[in-house]
Amino acid sequence: MKMRKSKQALSVPALAPAYVPTEEDFQLKDNQGELQIDTNFSAQSFWKDVVIRYFRKISAVFGLVMILLITIMAAAGPGMNPYTYSEQFLSQKNFAPRVKGLEKLGIFDGDESMKTTTGSKTVNLYQEKGLEDVYYWFGSDNFGRDIWTRTWSGARVSLIIAVAAAIIDMVIGMSYGLISGYFGGRVDMVMQRILEVANGIPRLVIVTLLLLVLQPGMLTIIFALMLTEWVGMSRIARAEMLKLKEQEFVLASRTLGAGSFFIIFREILPNIIGPIITQVMFSIPTAIFTEAFLSFVGLGIPVPQCSLGSLISEGFNSFTTHPYQIIPPIVVMALLMLSFNLVADGLREALDPKLKEM
Amino acid sequence: MKKYTLKRILTSLFTLLAILLVLFILMQLMPGSPFNDEKLNNDQRMALYAKYGLDQPIVVQFFNYVKNMLKGDFGVSYNISKNTPISQLIQTRLPVSIRIGGFAVSIGAVLGLMLGLIAALKHDTIWDSLATVISVIGVSVPSYVFALALSYTLGFRMGWFPMLYKEKLALLSSVMPSIALSMFTMASIARFTRSEMLEVMGSDYMLLAESKGISGGALIFRHALRNALIPIITVLAPLIVDLMTGSLVVEKIFAIPGVGSLLVNAIQSNDYNVVIALSFIYSAMYIGIMLVVDILYGVIDPRIRLTKEGD
Repeated sequence: MKMRKSKQALSVPALAPAYVPTEEDFQLKDNQGELQIDTNFSAQSFWKDVVIRYFRKISAVFGLVMILLITIMAAAGPGMNPYTYSEQFLSQKNFAPRVKGLEKLGIFDGDESMKTTTGSKTVNLYQEKGLEDVYYWFGSDNFGRDIWTRTWSGARVSLIIAVAAAIIDMVIGMSYGLISGYFGGRVDMVMQRILEVANGIPRLVIVTLLLLVLQPGMLTIIFALMLTEWVGMSRIARAEMLKLKEQEFVLASRTLGAGSFFIIFREILPNIIGPIITQVMFSIPTAIFTEAFLSFVGLGIPVPQCSLGSLISEGFNSFTTHPYQIIPPIVVMALLMLSFNLVADGLREALDPKLKEM
Repeated sequence: MKKYTLKRILTSLFTLLAILLVLFILMQLMPGSPFNDEKLNNDQRMALYAKYGLDQPIVVQFFNYVKNMLKGDFGVSYNISKNTPISQLIQTRLPVSIRIGGFAVSIGAVLGLMLGLIAALKHDTIWDSLATVISVIGVSVPSYVFALALSYTLGFRMGWFPMLYKEKLALLSSVMPSIALSMFTMASIARFTRSEMLEVMGSDYMLLAESKGISGGALIFRHALRNALIPIITVLAPLIVDLMTGSLVVEKIFAIPGVGSLLVNAIQSNDYNVVIALSFIYSAMYIGIMLVVDILYGVIDPRIRLTKEGD
């Protein structure tokens, strides 16, 4: 198609000499209309632009809303019913989900179909045990603990890990990369060799070994993340630094007497904040996943505390007989990781409009 | 190129040595002793330490260890199966893990390429959005969620595939774990293929090829995909490494007798030698893959080769 069009365009000048121009061919061009296209935009700050571009993308907004929702639920969810995350009612084990109001609609009514040798039958433990006024919104687990409360407590752990990972990325990874890139030469050489070694050890190995040496718990997990999460960020920070450090504004600042610290953090950092924020957002799902993975293997948060990973691990033991026990933590976990990824994608595009989507 | 390759190999060897040192130090710091049996009295314990060379100075222990590791002799297991050489333990388990990992990478690479190609060729259509949704979900949802979902639906409800690994049905048992593991690879490759393809298709040489009259399959496969594939090789390496981590959980879910479950067992029973040996193998594989990919990349793309030689 393209080819044919261009051929036609080429053939027009060949006919031209036969044509004699007349007076009507020459008229003043009324360019008033075209001039009006050139409207003035009020000057917008970079961040205002970013916000506008961000909210134009539905998936990014969805991610943000989901993160906010999960955060609110993690904060308020455990307090919404009288149960606590560690309290056990051994007489109320494995109750199916039951919610006031919804039970009349035939869902969340505490019914559970059990597969037996004779076929499947429906049981309702609430009615069998005469506990008509007891409600477990997400059901109760193998020890008679409320899954609703435990799920949101677990989400808390994941969110704390997320915040910790972001801070680690910002503080350690970014500084390491910026310093390595700015000073260059021998400093860069040594720092990059250290990074290569650190990067050469699989994350899994570092984290598991560390958790064996130290007491398992939130602080240890954060420490383990600290040792492993900074590498990606420092690479990006270094690459950005290398791009910018030879530019004139850095030279100008140095001529005016600015010290290295000032140049790195006040002159260059604001110029590379886009890629940095994007990288932070991308490293959060990895951190959440690492924690969930460790808890799943049994190296994470100690019992009776719980995280989404340990809840999934517990639910896994009985997930064929009581699938409702594993669904809430899995759904929250998947949504959380998905949302952070969506937000990161949205931010990347909003912060760098030249970038191709996806 | 030779200089670059040599430099890469030397760095890798140094990294490997550093890893051995780190592993060794960490192991020394570890709580508990491999001989936790309360029936042992002090003399017996000392005798055991002497037998396994644990009473010698740390430096000597370390050099003995490096020497043995490089010979492929990882020592014997203390706890998991007493006095079995670790290399033997690993020999039976490694093929299982590698087979499932290999399936996962192949499935992921092929499906990912197809998905990415469709998305790029049908840019800005419903197919594109669909592929994007699939790849975003694949990247963000952990592999064990897929594993559990598959296990519940195809394994438990439908009963098409065995829920737990069976030696006799090795192939059939590998289907679900491979699919679960491949999701992340597939999604990442799809995203990458799409953006690379879009970039290549917008380039001048594609316009030239098109105006020379090349069309259809030849245009896409010989001109576009070949150039788009180069950067994809670089993402494949970290993906293979990610598979190793993912396989730990997936192996637990499907009770696969692989390396991952061995590592988890070893960690939980303080079996030092096994943990060190497996960590070493994981690290060595990781470094090996990174090295091969870096060199391959240089071979395929002359631009990389030349710039890297420059510095």
